[in-house]
Parts: sequence; structure tokens; C-alpha cells
Amino acid sequence: MKLKLTWLLTLFMAFVMQFSFAQEKTVTGTVTTATDGMPLPGASVIVKGTSRGQQTDFDGKYTIKVDQGDVLVISYVGMTPGEITIGAANTYDIALEDANTLDEVVIVGYGTTTKKAYAGTATVVKSENIETKNFSNVSQSLAGEAAGVTVINTSGQPGSTSTIRIRGFGSVNGNRAPLYVVDGVPFSGSLNSINPSDIKTTTILKDATATAIYGSRGANGVILITTKGGTASESYIEVDVRTGINTQLIDRYEVITDPEEFIGYVWEANVNREILGGNADPVGTVNNTLFTTLINPVYNMWNVANGAELIDPATGKVRAGVTRKFTPKNYAEEAFNPAYRTEANLRMGGGNEDVKYFVSAGFLDDSGYIINSGYKRYTTRLNINAKVKPWLKLGANLGYAYSETLANGQTNGAENLFEFADKMPPIYGIFLRDDNQDLVEDPIFGGFQYDYGSISAINNGFAPRARPASDGLNPIASALYDYVGTDRHEINGSFNANINIAEGLTFETTFGAQYSNNVFKNTSNQFYGGAAPSGGTLFQRDTETLTMNFLQLLRYRKDFGKHSIEALVAHESNDFDRSRITANKSKSVIPGVYEINNYIVDDFPVSGFSEGRTLESYFGQINYDYDDKYYLTGSLRRDGSSRFAYEKYGTFYSIGGAWILSNEDFLADNDLFTFLKLKGSFGTTGDENGVGFYTGIDTFNASNLGGSIAIAPNTFENESLTWETAKQYQVGVEFGLGNWLDASFDYFVKDTENLIFSRRNPPSSGVAVITVNDGELRNYGLEFDLTGHIISKDDFTLDVSLNGAMYDNEITTMPLEPATGLPKILDRQGNYAYTKGGSIYDFYIREYAGVDPADGYPMWNQYYDDVNGDGLFDSGDTAIQSMTDYLDANPDANVEKTLTKTYADATERFNDGKSGIPDVAGAFRIAARYKNWNLSTQFTYSLGGYAYDNQYAELIHDNNSGISGTNRHIDIRDRWQQPGDITSVPRIADRVIPNVRSQSTRFLIKKDYLALNNILLGYTLSSKFLDNTGLDMVNLYVSGDNLFVKSARVGYNASLSESGSSGRATYAPLTTFTLGVKLKF
Amino acid sequence: MKKNVFKLMMLSAIMSLTFSCGEDYLDKSPEGGLITLNQLADAGAVNPDILIGTMDGVYTTTFNTGTGGTGGHDDFGQKAYDIFGDMLSGDMALSLSTYGWYRASITELQCTQDFTYSDNYQVWRHYYRVVKNANIVIGTIGGTDFDPETDVNRYILGQALAMRAHSLFYLTQYESRDYMPDAEILPLYTENQNLGQPKSTTNDVYTFIERDLNRAIDLLDGYNRPTKTQVNKPVAQAILAYVLASKRNAWPEVAALTSEVMSTNGATLMSSGEVTGGFNNVATPGWFWGVDLTTDIGLGLVSWWGQIDYFSYSYAAYGDSKAIDENLYNAIPADDARKAQFYDVAGSLFLMPLDKFYDDDRVPAGASGTVTADYVYMRQAEMILLNAEALAKSGSDGPAREMLRSLMSQRVPDTSYLNALSGAALQDEIYLQTRIELWGEGKSYLALKRNQGTVNRGPNHLSFVGESMSYDDERLTFEIPEAELQDNVNIDSQNQ
Repeated sequence: MKLKLTWLLTLFMAFVMQFSFAQEKTVTGTVTTATDGMPLPGASVIVKGTSRGQQTDFDGKYTIKVDQGDVLVISYVGMTPGEITIGAANTYDIALEDANTLDEVVIVGYGTTTKKAYAGTATVVKSENIETKNFSNVSQSLAGEAAGVTVINTSGQPGSTSTIRIRGFGSVNGNRAPLYVVDGVPFSGSLNSINPSDIKTTTILKDATATAIYGSRGANGVILITTKGGTASESYIEVDVRTGINTQLIDRYEVITDPEEFIGYVWEANVNREILGGNADPVGTVNNTLFTTLINPVYNMWNVANGAELIDPATGKVRAGVTRKFTPKNYAEEAFNPAYRTEANLRMGGGNEDVKYFVSAGFLDDSGYIINSGYKRYTTRLNINAKVKPWLKLGANLGYAYSETLANGQTNGAENLFEFADKMPPIYGIFLRDDNQDLVEDPIFGGFQYDYGSISAINNGFAPRARPASDGLNPIASALYDYVGTDRHEINGSFNANINIAEGLTFETTFGAQYSNNVFKNTSNQFYGGAAPSGGTLFQRDTETLTMNFLQLLRYRKDFGKHSIEALVAHESNDFDRSRITANKSKSVIPGVYEINNYIVDDFPVSGFSEGRTLESYFGQINYDYDDKYYLTGSLRRDGSSRFAYEKYGTFYSIGGAWILSNEDFLADNDLFTFLKLKGSFGTTGDENGVGFYTGIDTFNASNLGGSIAIAPNTFENESLTWETAKQYQVGVEFGLGNWLDASFDYFVKDTENLIFSRRNPPSSGVAVITVNDGELRNYGLEFDLTGHIISKDDFTLDVSLNGAMYDNEITTMPLEPATGLPKILDRQGNYAYTKGGSIYDFYIREYAGVDPADGYPMWNQYYDDVNGDGLFDSGDTAIQSMTDYLDANPDANVEKTLTKTYADATERFNDGKSGIPDVAGAFRIAARYKNWNLSTQFTYSLGGYAYDNQYAELIHDNNSGISGTNRHIDIRDRWQQPGDITSVPRIADRVIPNVRSQSTRFLIKKDYLALNNILLGYTLSSKFLDNTGLDMVNLYVSGDNLFVKSARVGYNASLSESGSSGRATYAPLTTFTLGVKLKF
Repeated sequence: MKKNVFKLMMLSAIMSLTFSCGEDYLDKSPEGGLITLNQLADAGAVNPDILIGTMDGVYTTTFNTGTGGTGGHDDFGQKAYDIFGDMLSGDMALSLSTYGWYRASITELQCTQDFTYSDNYQVWRHYYRVVKNANIVIGTIGGTDFDPETDVNRYILGQALAMRAHSLFYLTQYESRDYMPDAEILPLYTENQNLGQPKSTTNDVYTFIERDLNRAIDLLDGYNRPTKTQVNKPVAQAILAYVLASKRNAWPEVAALTSEVMSTNGATLMSSGEVTGGFNNVATPGWFWGVDLTTDIGLGLVSWWGQIDYFSYSYAAYGDSKAIDENLYNAIPADDARKAQFYDVAGSLFLMPLDKFYDDDRVPAGASGTVTADYVYMRQAEMILLNAEALAKSGSDGPAREMLRSLMSQRVPDTSYLNALSGAALQDEIYLQTRIELWGEGKSYLALKRNQGTVNRGPNHLSFVGESMSYDDERLTFEIPEAELQDNVNIDSQNQ
């Protein structure tokens, strides 16, 4: 009986226990930080293995329904996650430790490591720093984010991709662009196809240990992009929506805007022209011709009949009392208007231990501040990882983007809104005026017709007349009525499998492909402008690219006590193909239909071709570490490229080591260094991307000449052309001081040999330039990255970070002069010249010596060999054309300087060390958090160095079309006007004075700048407001991008080109103000 | 165990994919765009047109854009330099300049005094590029002195030698003020020379040119060219006639050559009707060397028509007017058929050649962006005029007069005024008629130097109106470009 009872009891108990085990109960608790015990709001509390969870409230408290035996995972950004196993109690408090960022996983080439263990230099750019910026792709967002990474914003056109340079100037004529790797696959698509909101991490690899594993493609640095994936710990939906305004706050050059002021200069310049030409009545001549041959009378906007009535000859200015008949509408004001930017992104993720997924969709509508320029994009991404068997993992990551770029008004050299805004004299308005100077109605588009000069006149039956500036063009009209745009589909995907063969041994394979179909169309309407006579034109270019990359990799990992080893061997092949078809047609049937069959005439024959290159690589790597103190890594890679005709293969390798001193016993108890690491590396990398697809072999073009094949040489090549190789040495130190400073310093020397070099031949040989491997270039520099945690209170933090790079560059071996077989003394490269010991950005031009006060003519320095030693340039002395060449041939020359007004006689020389290389460039950021508010600002800076201000040169003096054809920079106000004037701006004389804007030191400008790149103010809603809303997180923010640039001249912006030199048609970076909200469910 | 077998099978399948890349994985050739030398050699083995095609490529180089290495809109081959020459001679006036092409550099004579101007590079680069391309063909056939066995190769070699000579001849004209036998003027390149050469004397350059042309004339005997683009024997002879004429000491030879050309080239003199209607079509019987420009050739704005013709999509229609020099226009008699070639209404089109050079659509600014009007290189009239000049200068005034009359009778109703002309007056008249007849065809500059003329610009020029410049004025020849002096260790000075 007793036994029976016991048994029953046992059964009962078991039942009860069973019952109670399954019983759900509500537990509560408080999450605090371990360092100071303060409550932690917004921490996530998830039941492990499920998607159930919630966030702590403002007081760090949570309440959650759980079963006994469940495990809660408590996590918070920047903290080490904690776990709680639910027992009988109902209250579970936990204190989270600060995560050690040193243990964060860092993705590097073909594997992962930790920040602590890495012997190379890998900078991880935080996704939150990228998310605060409003760009369509990651390239612009990288500005200022890492020491030694230069971002060059070549255009403000929405959807444009910036040029990135890592560690300065790797090559002379070869490739300088870094390699992008997306989810482990080398990427040759458009960065725009990757929505920045899908990016989890961006890692920049700089030194040889980091990049040599990429062998042939790593010489200019590597940017690794990893997209977001699913997670097993929670399921979530994130929505972020932002809307804003794009406008132009970055200044343009200051030009004359007042028509009266401008016409005064036209008059003065032409009077001077007549004076210098020997005309006995210069004023009378110009008064009579001002509104006849110089400027068509239709552009006379004043109530005067001729120059005499308009201009007071005593002052050269418009007479007081002269009134306007009309005021022409200005190109700039019509061209530039603020426009909207809207972006929305939806991200969902989740999964369990075996299958994880991530899905996203994004929409961007980004309009530029000029008429009809914009970018519209739809993106989606799907990322799935599955553990199919305990030994087999599969992953697929697929992104698709469709974009529409509208780039009206930016035709180079013709109908360009920016060029017209800067260079159109203010006397010419945008609208057409008939012979009575009345506006002409537009029967087609409504409103008034735009002025195309003589073309408009012909079409409207007026007397043929030319507008002295850019006759036949009107970019406002073409931006409105024409279409220049690109539609692009792009898919990038990777599929990988990971097979666990044996303990520690895995086989990994990844197949990646990037495909794009790009349709570019450029149409001109059939009603107005240049295409009107031919009935409208269409140019279409379809480009299809496909990159396939296939990787097979065997990896072995093993720990033996304190020793840990990882080794891999792999094979990779990469195939890039591009094909292109173009069509040119004219005579449109239906206006506004931009398809080939809507145009009935073939203007030029259809053309099409395909081209490409292949790469094949074998490589391996070994990583070893001992006791978390000593790390060694070595890699070897052999690459072959189809680009080279005969010398296809190159071998690249690296070794590197790191020593964590702070883990040594002798530093165990120090209070100063929380972390201290020394590292060093050496390695070689190559480059093949800087030459065309078919080098080493002469190429030809074929064409149809009267029905026969005609074959003409295209490029003469050098058959022994091969890899450019860089040897890179680096030493670095990383340390943490207390909890208030994290710092890293790297010093590197990079010797690039076998430079891909454009050798200039005598043009008479018929081959002006040939690409060779020759010369050696050394780049060296110091990079620093400092982050100071100035204030770290629970509700108030303030971080200040500063990064920068100091580079220099030296040609250590000059390329050979084929005629002598000796290294060249000097090699001219545009504004620069190369010589041994110099840099590749040393200016070698004629020196401007100001204006002769007697006659207003420009002067230049002429150096001569004062053979007779009398200090005068006279007979017996030798004029020096090119200083470096002359001194090489005549080392004992007695060089003296005189002035010349003949430009060709001026001496070319290195201009006292003026170089295009800045002394230091980088960025600083201030980030603060107060309670739920956060504020961050980023400035970029550059100090030192010079650039050539081409655009200023074009604005300050005569172009081909003379003064009535081009507006002037306001510095024309300082021009020479009468004998005795001391100025650096020569007399204006409408093209009479030769070489007035020829290349000289006059147009060098200091590259220094300070730019406010980004500012963001955000507010995160306290979780106590979110109870019962279903929302986990609400974040609101306002931000601004590209707010100002301070440089040596208003309108000049050194960050728009690699050399810093300015050019035409600058689409200055968009200034964007954004209001955004981020929600998480 | 079973699992491991499966894994191994998967691995080996992937591995076999991996290494099946094969040996030719890294051999990649372009398709449809560029052609590599290897592809060309392979194709040449099965397609005999390829070798002929390389010679035809020398001709395309004479009218393709950018051959002067600048990318400028005045860089389009031989006809680009014809404009330079016409403007330097003063016969072509830039009467309105909006875009500024030719303005300061050419018409204000700035580039010819300053070797830093890119126009100097353009002239030099273009003609030496043609020399190089011709040298490739010559080298492929077997060399300058090789005697090819097949007719096809004889004709190709002949053409290549003639084109090399043609380019060198233009260089002598543009780079040297005058025919000065001992002056060092140009580097010479044979098919075997790739490195920068020193300058040779005028005498050596002419010897080189004349040898090439005499050999070409010999090799081209019997050649029946497919189109008027190719150099045949009469064209080679005509080039030689110009070369000898430029020396001013071989007039009987010039007279004989031009006479033979006229009788063998199959061309006729353009009629009075054709001079206002025949300058856009290579089929005009008056032409014996020219190019049939087609849609396939694909020239557009950057072309001779794109600079000169108001009825093409052109700078001429967009405010860059090129007109006949007003003085020269005034020298054309009122009853001369050629007077009608020029537009005689004041305004921006004044004296533009609206009825000489026009696209036959006759839509202002062009009915199409494509140039299909043709390029004329040589026509019968210039042989008549050169023959008359050579006869007159070798003392045969009578035959010279009759030769000139054969042209003038097609231009004016009454040629009796010629009867009174002899000696210098006859030579002057021939020179004047050469300038009028060949206006805008790139021959005025050669005639200026040959006739030791004087430039005197009329009032419709924008600069130097009324100022006299002798044919050998330093300002009328180009400089050796800066790049040559920088990159050729064997040349360090300008020509005298």
C-alpha cells in the first residue's frame, strides 16, 4: 500500500512538476551597466531561440512572459551580451559589461579576425556613421571616415559615385582605384546597386598584410563591404524614412552679374584692342561697332542707340541716367533651384539557429538642384543562410537595383548649365527676342521661346544673327525639352557553400556574379536648338556587363594549447565581359518618345563590340598566434591576367606580425595602457587595372572605305608590358590610454616598381606615347587615428575623433630615355614634370611675374646663363628654356633671372617646390549624446599643397570667343588700366595680348580647405512612450550634408579632383538637409 | 562513411569545375571593336583584303578626327590643314568668330610665333602619323627598296610610298619658310626607324620625297584603283608635280608631269555649272582624288564641312563665318561664273561660299548631323593651272596662255583679255586664277609660296587688315612643337 502510495505520489508529483514546468510565468528585472550600475534603457531582452522579446524601458526595467528553463539573452550595442536562465525566481537583474571593441570581429580578406589580433591595418567604418549621411552609395559617405582615405566628389549629380584613393598616389599612369569586395566577391559593378542601408560593415584594408592576399588587385587598397544578414536572436522590422531638400550652398566662382558693369569691360577691352592695333580713333570705332559687329543690336538692352550714348569715355562706364529697355533673365537663376530628396527603406530579418534571413527594400528619389537632374532607385536584397546538415552550410545573397538617372543640362563643352551659369555674360538673357526685341511666344511648349542665337533667328525668319557667346546653344531649353538619362538594371549575387570535411578542415566555395544592363539615351528635341533642322536626334548606348567570380578554398584551423593556427589554400578565377551597342538616329515621329524606331533616319551606322579580361589566381595564407600575445601571418598569391600579352603572371606575398604588449606580464598591472599593440608588415601587391584590356599587342580599327575594309592603327604597344608591383613596408602602434583615448599610428613606405608609365616619344616618330614598365616611385607617410572619450557619463557622452594622413611621394628612378638608354632627366606631364627625387605632383611651368606697370602686359620670368657675368641678359648669354634640362647639361651655369613679355621665352622650371601634395589631410568628428539626444558633426580638412585653377584662368581672361563671349571673374576689377597701375591682372584687350591666360604660376592656388561635411541631430523616443504601440524603437533626426567649404578662393574646391585642379562645368556637391525617422518593430 | 563518400564526390565535382579553366583562360581577344595584331595576322592569312585594308587605313587616317592628337574641333586630318593654309594665305577670312576656332591662334598668327600652341603639335603629329602608318605598310610589304612579285603588293607599296611623300611634302611647306636647300628642317623616318631622328636638310628631304614618288609612279603603273580615294599613277605624278614646283627650279618637269596627269587621270574640267553645284560629290568628273564620305565613315561636326559649310551642322552656321577675302572677291569679274559661289549680302554671312561648298540638302545648319558631302583632294583645274604656271615660268607664254584659256573659257564669256598677257603679267594672272578657282580647297598656301606672293588681307578679316606679309614671313609657317623639342634628344632648335 505504502509502495503503491509512493508510486502514486511519484506519478502525481511528476504530473505536477510537468505541469509546473510548462507553466508560463511573468518575470521582471532591471538591466544596468556593470561599470556604474546605472539602468540601461533600450536594451533588448529576447527569449533565446525564439523571436519573442522586448526592450527595457527608460528605467532599464523589463517584464516578459517566459517558461522556467528558458534562457533570456540581454543585449545592447557596445556591450557584451548577457544570458539568464529562468529558474524559480520571478526577478532577474543583470549588469552588462562594456564590450571590448578589441574582440569585435573584423572582416578581412578571405576570412575574419579581431581588431586585437590583426597584424595589418583594417579600418572598420561604423554603419551608423554611414547612415547619417544622405548619399545613394557608400563612396561619398566614406569621406573623412578613415585616415588616408580620400574621397573625391567629381559631381553633385545625384547617383554619382565618388572616386576613392587610399594612401595617396600609388601609381604614375596606372590604376589608383581600390578594389571593392562585396560579401567576399570582388566587385566590378556600380556601387549604387548596393543600398547603403543594407550595409552592415565597411572595412578598409590599407597595408600589404591586409591587401597582398588580393595580389594583383590589392595595390591601391581594398574596401570590403558586408551586407546585413539575418539573426537568430530576434525577428524585426525596421523602417526608415527620410525626406529633405537638395540645394547649392557650396559657392560658385564670383562672376560679374551686373550687365552695366559687364558692358563697360566689353567697351574698354575693345577700345584697348583698337589702341594696340594702331587705330587712330579707337573710341569712335568701338562706339560705332559695339552694337553692330561686336554685339548684335538685338542684345542692346539699353535705351541708347550706340556705344557713344551708352558709355562715358572718361570712365569707361555706363553713363548715369542710361535706362534699360528690359532686363534679361539670367541663366544661373533659372538653372538652380532647390529640389526634394526622399528615401525610404524597409528591412526585415530573423531566423533560428539553422536558418537566418534578411530581406530589404529601398526607394530613393533624389533630385539635383539643376533643372531635370535626378536619380531614382529601387533596391531589394535577400540574404539567406542555412545549415543544411551539421557539416554543410549554404548561403545565398542576392541584390537587385533598378535606377533611373536623369542628367539633363550637363553636356560637356556645349549645353551645360554650369558653364552657362559661370561664363554667360549677363547681357544675354535666356529668352529669344525678335528684331523688335520683343519676347517670342512658343507655340509648342507654351510660354516664350528660348534664345539659341542664329538658330532661333533662322527658325523664326529673323535676320540671321549670331549671339557672340555660345551661339546656337541654350542649356535651359535643352534641360527642359531634351532628355539625357540612364536606366540601369543591376544584379549582384553570391552563392556559397561551406563543407566541414573533418575536425578543423573546411572547404568553402563561392560563386559570385554581377550583371548590369545600362541604357544611356541622349536626345535632342525636334523643335528648337541644334537638332531642329534634322528633326530631333537620339543617341542610345546599351552596355551589358557580366562579371563572374569563382572561388574554391580549403581552410584548416586548429588550437594546440596556447598555439592557434589557421591556414588556407585557394583558387579563384574572375571573368569580366562588357559589350556595347550604340545607335544614332534622327527625325522623330512622336515627340517625347525616346525609342530607336521612333526616329526614322540613321545618322551614323549602328556600332557594337565586346571586350573583357580574365584573371586566374592561386593563393594561400597562414595565420599563427601564441597565447593572445604574438600573431604572425603570411600569404602568397600568384595571379595571371589576360591584359598582358605575354608576361601574364605575377607573384605577390606578404608577412606580418603583431605583439600585444598589454597582455605581457610586465605590463599586466600598468594603469596607463589598457591596450598596447605593435605591428609590422612587409608585402608586395600588383596592379593590372591601369592599362587597357589588350596591351602588349598593337591594336587597329577597321572601317568601311568605299565598301572596302580599311584598317588603321589604334594604339602602338610594348609587348613586354607586365604587372606594376608595389613593395610595402609598414610599422604601426595601437593603444588605449585609460578609458579616454584610443589611438593608432601607422607609418608606411610603398615602393612601386615597374611603373606603368606613359613614355612620351618624339611625335615625329609617329608614336607619341607608349605604355611601358619603367621607373620607381616611393610613397611614404604617417597616418593617425585618435578618438578621445572626453565625457563618458551615463546620460552624457562626448567623443572627439581626429584622423589624418601625411604623405609624400618621390620618384626614385626615372624611366629611360630610349634614344640614350639613360634615365630621363625630366619628363613633362601637363602642369607637372617628373625628375629623380621629385614628386609626381611637382609643378614645372613658366613663372608669372606680374604686370608691367608701363603698358599692362603680362610678364614672366626668364632665366638665363649669364655667361659673361655682367648681371644682364645680353649677347653671349644663353636663354634657358627648361631649367632642369639646362642645368643637367650645364651644371656650372651662372643662372640669373630677367623678365620677358614673350611667353615662349619664359623659362619652365620647378616652381620653388610647389607641389600638389598636401602636408596633412583628414577629418575630425565630434559626437555627443545627452540623454536621448545625439549630435554628431564631421569636418574634413586639408593643409598644404597647390593646385592649378583652370576654371579661374578661363574666367579671368580671354577665351577663344573674346570678351563679348565670356563672362569675367570679379577680379577683373583689379585689371591694369593706365600707366603706373600696380596690379597682377593684365590689361584687357580682347585677344590682342597673346598668352594672357597661358599656363603659368599665376593660376596656382593653395589647396587648403576646411569643409563641414555632415551634421546630425537625433532624438530617440524613450521606451516608456512606446508601451502598447508595438514599436521597439523610434528615432527622429535632422541632418545636413556638404554645408560649407572654406578654400583659398570662393568657388574653388580642392576636393573635386584628384590633383585639386579645377575644371569646367563643376556640378558642386549637393547640400542636403534631411528630416528622418527610424522605426523598429 | 557514406556521408564522407558523398562529400568527396561533391568536392571533386567542384574541383573539376575549378580547374577546367584551361590554358587559354587567360587569352582574351576583343570582338568587334579593336583588332589586335594577332587577330589581324590570322585574318590576313585567309582574307587578302586585310593587307589592302592596311593601305586603305592610311587614307582613313587622312580624314579621321583627332589624328593631330588634340581632340580639338579643328583636328580632322588633311582638310584641317587645308583650312590652316587657306587662312594663313589670307584668301580665307574668318569674318565672324563666336566659338573662336582659328581666331587668335591661326588668324591672328599667334601660334606660328609660339611653339607652345597646340596647333603646331597638331600639324606635326598628323603628318608624321601618316608617315608612320605608311611605314608600317611599307615594312609589311618588304621595305622601301623591295621589289614585290605580285601586282597587288606592287600597288600597295606604290601607294604607301606616295602617301609618305605626300605627308613629308606638306611638312616641308608648313614647317619651312622657303625652299632653302641647306637648311635643316625635318627628321626623316624609314620603315626601320622608331627612335627620334635628327633633322635632315631640305635637300635631303626633297631627295627622299622625290625618290619615294618616282618609285611609286613606277610601281603604280597599271593600277586600276577601286575608288577615287586611292593614289594611282596620275595622283602620284600630280603630287610629284607639286613637289617639284615648290622648288621653283624644275618647271619643264612640272609641265610634263601635269600634262601627262591631265591626259591619263580620266577627269575633266568642272564646267561653269559644276562650279556652283559640284563640290559636295566625289563623282563630279572634274575630281580625280577625293573621298566619298558616307554615313559609315561617320564624320559629323568635327570635319571640314563642320567648319566651312553653312548648310551642314557646323560652326559656320553657328556664328563662325569663313568667307572669301574681300579683295580676292572683288578681283573676280562680275560676269565670272565663280562670282556666284559667294553670298553677296551684308551681314554675318557676307562672302561665305554658300554656293560653292554646301551640303545638297541646303538646310541652314544642316538637315543631319552626319557629313555625307565629300572631300576633294585634287581636281583637273589645278593641273591645268599648275601646267599653265609651269609653262609660263619656263618661258612658254603661248602654250601657257592657251592652257589658262582652256579654264577661263568655262568661267567667263570673253577670254580675249588673255591675249595681251605675257611674262610677269601672265604669271600673275595664272596665280590670281589659281587663288580664285581653288578658293577654299587648300591650295592657296602652296601657291603663295610657289609664287613668292604677298598676303594682303581685305576688310572682312577680323585682324591684320591691310597689312602686307611676304610669303616667307616667319609668321606664316608653323613652329616645331614644344613636345618634339622636349622628347627628341636629337632636335633642339626651331627651323630658321
